[in-house]
Amino acid sequence: MPASAANMGREMFMAERSGAGTAQDLDRVLADLRALSEDIESCAVLSGDRDLLSSSHQPGVDRERVGAMLAALVYLSERVARESGKDHISQLRIDTGGGHLLVVRLDGGGVLAATTDQEARVGLVLYDMRNSRGEVEKALADGSDQ
Amino acid sequence: MKKFLRRLFLLGALVGAAYAARSYLQGHSPAQETVQIVFDDGSTRSLASNTTEGQEFIDIARKLVETGL
Repeated sequence: MPASAANMGREMFMAERSGAGTAQDLDRVLADLRALSEDIESCAVLSGDRDLLSSSHQPGVDRERVGAMLAALVYLSERVARESGKDHISQLRIDTGGGHLLVVRLDGGGVLAATTDQEARVGLVLYDMRNSRGEVEKALADGSDQ
Repeated sequence: MKKFLRRLFLLGALVGAAYAARSYLQGHSPAQETVQIVFDDGSTRSLASNTTEGQEFIDIARKLVETGL
């Protein structure tokens, strides 16, 4: 095998490994968050490029659809920020009448999002999400460094 | 004087009961749809569900809450 082909193969392998590592780290952080905050029904991380990096979706949930809807929400909130003369949002809280959708912005433009039922202690969930933000950002940074 | 104090006590009890009933009913009123945005400078903005902007958020959020993330 030519040296360049071998290098290319190794780079591809490392990229795959680093991607898997990032996903595993994020999955672990999200699992920790759900264990800490029992009111969270589902949660996900959307990257600054609007890719759904990790989520706790149930079987049968269309991952791409969830990612697209979450990206649309982030786009809408950033539009409101611009219209209000602000740089970014830091937090979004939506009460739908049947539950809550909570979003916390990460460094680099990504978001950590979670859903809860209507009776959830939303302030406490947001507190836990803000505390987990650092770990999510670290997992994302570690993934991009590798 | 004793009669006055009795009436005052009764009035206080009635006002208290009315306040408690009001709080109870408000606490069990139908859930309200709201959007609250906190910006990076700490300021907040709320969008009502009867505005086009607020409804856009709520429509998407409702689907995500139903399906899960």
